[in-house]
Amino acid sequence: MKEFAPLLHGYWYLFRGAGMTLLMAATAVVPATLGGVLLALLQMFGNRFARSAVVAYLFVIRGIPLLVLLTFTYYLLPLTGIDLPPFWGVVVVLACYYAAFMSEVFRAGMLSLPRAQWDAARSLGMTRRLMLQIVIFPQALRLASPPFVSLCVSLVKATSLVSIVGLWELTMASREIVERTLAPFQIFLGAAAIYFCICYTLALYGKHLERRVLGGH
Amino acid sequence: MLFDPHFIARLIPALLQGAEVTVELAILTFAICLIWGLIVALANSSRGPLSWIAGAYIQIVRNTPLLIQLYIVYFGLSMIGFGLSGFASGLLALCIQNGGYMAEIYRGGLQAVSLRQYEAGRALGMRRWTLYRTVIIPQVVARIIPPMTNQTISIIKDTSQVAAIAVMEMMKVAQVWVESSANTYDVFLGVAIIYLVLTSVASLGGKLFERRLAFAQ
Repeated sequence: MKEFAPLLHGYWYLFRGAGMTLLMAATAVVPATLGGVLLALLQMFGNRFARSAVVAYLFVIRGIPLLVLLTFTYYLLPLTGIDLPPFWGVVVVLACYYAAFMSEVFRAGMLSLPRAQWDAARSLGMTRRLMLQIVIFPQALRLASPPFVSLCVSLVKATSLVSIVGLWELTMASREIVERTLAPFQIFLGAAAIYFCICYTLALYGKHLERRVLGGH
Repeated sequence: MLFDPHFIARLIPALLQGAEVTVELAILTFAICLIWGLIVALANSSRGPLSWIAGAYIQIVRNTPLLIQLYIVYFGLSMIGFGLSGFASGLLALCIQNGGYMAEIYRGGLQAVSLRQYEAGRALGMRRWTLYRTVIIPQVVARIIPPMTNQTISIIKDTSQVAAIAVMEMMKVAQVWVESSANTYDVFLGVAIIYLVLTSVASLGGKLFERRLAFAQ
């Protein structure tokens, strides 16, 4: 039992780290979603220049590991003279990275609507804005919600990478405790269990949404 | 100095050496997971306790970060006397995680073939093997290639995380060069380009394979 006393403190520390992980993921998911919608709209309705800019952006972001982008920002930000706290730095990188994947999800949602929906809206003389607002978006968002939730799971897992560039969250917290207690198995498994609780809850919610989407047709 | 030709002349061979390790890791992971994922998927679709174990495995590895799995394998195993080299730990962790994703891809492919296809084959008096070889497997393969291609891209990007346990793959090489030279732009531009080439090759290969199959059908 004696060996477990420091570990108990360790587990408490892990929970605090998990709070930071959740805060980071929740902060990043908002701009990532907005950016994803914007990119999807630009790719579908923008002029030729906007479309090719979006395609180039998606190609670059989806072809480079997140860790490379994070490390790049970590080394680069001080050189450019932009004075951004590290937390906001990684939130920006996470948001830029996930916006690319979100845009694919939203675009797929809009494209998978039957053509008749677009035609019907147009034949009623709706403006594009009105058509998107009351016909396309409500249905597309419902279709896109299950893959959106899987991206949220992926985002929560991806926050672990910020520990490599020195930010404090769940993974960093677990590494600190392992350095002190030399109990990698117990601590890392504890961290894995916390990640699992967060991500599996989200995944179950995604499953639930998926059943509802499939049931609605 | 940006674009220092002498620096780049020394940098490129070093990065390519790291890229070799990246490619080795990615190919080995892909090959092993192709088989391991199938085994897990078949176990998951069987009846009995094996199915339950496979299901739990899939959920656990998909809902915890690769980085934590990497730490458990690398630091945890060495603590209980099964110390593996960095490369072997990295490969093992990559296979553990991606095996779960591959299993889900196989499951999706198998589920997408409707039961009527089996019934139709049997009604034509096909033997089980003939049925699978000529009817079921071609359809499953056609369905799983696009998600498999995406997974391969994700494997290539995931190998960068192995840098966290000091394996000298491309990401780690880049880090060492940035820290010893302060030539951040050149190094990261090089790394980004090589990753983009690698992921583009994977995506192109998937597309070619898809097209060849489309002709074969």
